[in-house]
Amino acid sequence: MSAEDEVSLLVIVVDVNPIWWGQQANREPQFTLSKCLDAVMVMGNSHLVMTRTNKLAIIASHCQESHFLYPCKLWKFGDGHGDENASTSGDGKYELLSVANDFIAEEIKNLMSRTEVKGNQTDTLLAGSLAKALCCILSIKMLTGQEMKSRILVVKAAEDCALQYMNFMNVIFAAQKQSILIDACVLDSDSGLLQQACDITGGLYLKIPQKIALAQYLLWVFLPDSDQRSQLVLPPPVHVDYRAACFCHRNLIEIGYVCSVCLSIFCNFSPICTTCETAFKIPLPQVVKSKKKKLKPST
Amino acid sequence: MNAIPICCFTRATPNAIIFHILQFLIELHLEVDSIKMDEEPERAKRWEGGYERTWEILKEDESGSLKATVEEILFQAKRKRVFESHGQVRLGMMRHLYVVIDTSRTMEDQDLKPNRLTSTLKLVEYFVEEYFDQNPISQVGIITTKNKRAEKLTDLAGNPKKHIDALKKAKDSTCGGEPSLYNSLSLAMQTLKHMPGHSSREVLIIFSSLTTCDPANIYELVKTLKALKIRVSVIGLSAEVRVCTVLTRETGGSYHVILDESHFRELLMFHVKPPPATSSSECSLIRMGFPQHTIASISDQDAKPSFSQAHLDSTSGGPGLSMGGYFCPQCQAKYTELPVECKVCGLTLVSAPHLARSFHHLFPLEAFQESPLLLHHTERFCEACQGELKDKSVFTCPSCNSVFCVECDLFIHDTLHCCPSCIHSRSAP
Repeated sequence: MSAEDEVSLLVIVVDVNPIWWGQQANREPQFTLSKCLDAVMVMGNSHLVMTRTNKLAIIASHCQESHFLYPCKLWKFGDGHGDENASTSGDGKYELLSVANDFIAEEIKNLMSRTEVKGNQTDTLLAGSLAKALCCILSIKMLTGQEMKSRILVVKAAEDCALQYMNFMNVIFAAQKQSILIDACVLDSDSGLLQQACDITGGLYLKIPQKIALAQYLLWVFLPDSDQRSQLVLPPPVHVDYRAACFCHRNLIEIGYVCSVCLSIFCNFSPICTTCETAFKIPLPQVVKSKKKKLKPST
Repeated sequence: MNAIPICCFTRATPNAIIFHILQFLIELHLEVDSIKMDEEPERAKRWEGGYERTWEILKEDESGSLKATVEEILFQAKRKRVFESHGQVRLGMMRHLYVVIDTSRTMEDQDLKPNRLTSTLKLVEYFVEEYFDQNPISQVGIITTKNKRAEKLTDLAGNPKKHIDALKKAKDSTCGGEPSLYNSLSLAMQTLKHMPGHSSREVLIIFSSLTTCDPANIYELVKTLKALKIRVSVIGLSAEVRVCTVLTRETGGSYHVILDESHFRELLMFHVKPPPATSSSECSLIRMGFPQHTIASISDQDAKPSFSQAHLDSTSGGPGLSMGGYFCPQCQAKYTELPVECKVCGLTLVSAPHLARSFHHLFPLEAFQESPLLLHHTERFCEACQGELKDKSVFTCPSCNSVFCVECDLFIHDTLHCCPSCIHSRSAP
């Protein structure tokens, strides 16, 4: 039973890579970006109505920027009263939810229409979105000053970008330090980085078998928070391969040699580190001095 | 610069790609240079004309309090440390550190609440946790000294739990007698001198007494420590003591005296970061194992529960039997946690994220430039947290010119180690 005034913050990071979604529209016309965002909005609404004190933030992760779809900068988080133009929903829906949904729809339309994809920037900037999510969580914690439990849910579409490895690992360790869970809901191809993130921070990783049922998976697996998860039977943890790859052949190795200066990993001993070019001291075997035998003078 | 071969990415596993990219980045940025340990001249004393009109630095505010000036001096020192650490300097990543805690009579003094000993033990616990967070492949040992003797509380080990348990138990111990610098240093030296040359050997002494009782000439010991390349640093709790000044100066460590508990905490945190490597430390290739984590379930026919090697010696109780774990690739001994040194074959076992934790030391983040809010009337929101900029000053990243608020700046530099806006650009970190 959570305390009455405990605040639970959910940050949903949605991968809106236009190239992947464009290809997806050709592959499976029944599951497009708008359907995905509908599912995300259902998840967000459900989170907000679970408890009155729950808060929500949604970030769209694009190839060139990360944009906060909700809440708007001009509001305070969660208790925004909207501006004067906000229409009250005609179907009697809770006003907070209808305002949020309209706002998200508006923002995503603006985002997708205004950004142009340049030639070589095809990867989603997931590490950047996660970094912004962490800063946002921290600032809300400072504002409310109460006990707050937060988690980040990543809905990932496109493949991993290897260039972001280091930033990603920095973000993961920062999240672990702040006790923030990172959950991952992967639509297409398995992501090693997100598997590591979920393992290190204690979140859940799930690759969805059927994309059309995204809303169902989100509500079943990712809606309960960490306290309630122990009482549910959830998908088993994925086996994460933490073996390191050697820098020379990129093979996964079980025993390797690590340079003490730059921490690069090699599979064979070599006298010079190829990354930082330090010469290593090779431990030579001790030379045993042979004892000189004194010649006995012949009598 | 070589272009990254893109074709190899499609089928390789994530870790493989990752390490290749890392190699490329390190080649781009790492200029290895080592710091020479300068001989610092001994600070001139007052009667030698070293201090002149020291009262002019201190300025009183309207109520006559000096607090603002003291805080300003501390803040400047902190900023200086942040700036200092951003050079391309080789760091000692694998550290063997002994923490010597003075448990003599003076530790019962109540100027730190509730008494010096309890406060010190609590802060050293926090220090040990932070230390293993920033230096996952390093080791720490704890020594206490009282009644003119020194004894080892815990041996050098890479697992924080043991140290924290020992520190918790030590809270009930009594303080008495006088500390002995000589005995504690020689005890630390006995173990540190056998450590391999590529690791940095350090001793951190938390010294509260103004006296020390030594069986032999401590200056001889200082010479020996210097020859063995052991770096000794001292944090004083009472006042500056000349023997500590000489000790730290000769061995290349630092000596500070605390002002209050928060300053004590800051000084301890200063020692968490890896120090610059001395020019005489050797660089070598260390053989390490990367075991796989096997999760066996009871329904698996071949799975058998087994004991972990680490638990064989422990007296903490519990069955110690577990189904899965990490198996040493060389001798198949089982362990439940990493990093650990295999007891059977001596191989150091780590996992790739442990090495990744140390990478931010290799690529430190530049300090952001502070500027008053009035200069930035175009931006009203912090780039990272989207909150309004309300503080007096804002911080700008020199490479991407994004504006951050004070809390985000602190978070970015202490925990995150990468600028959220720079990540969004295509350039390498």
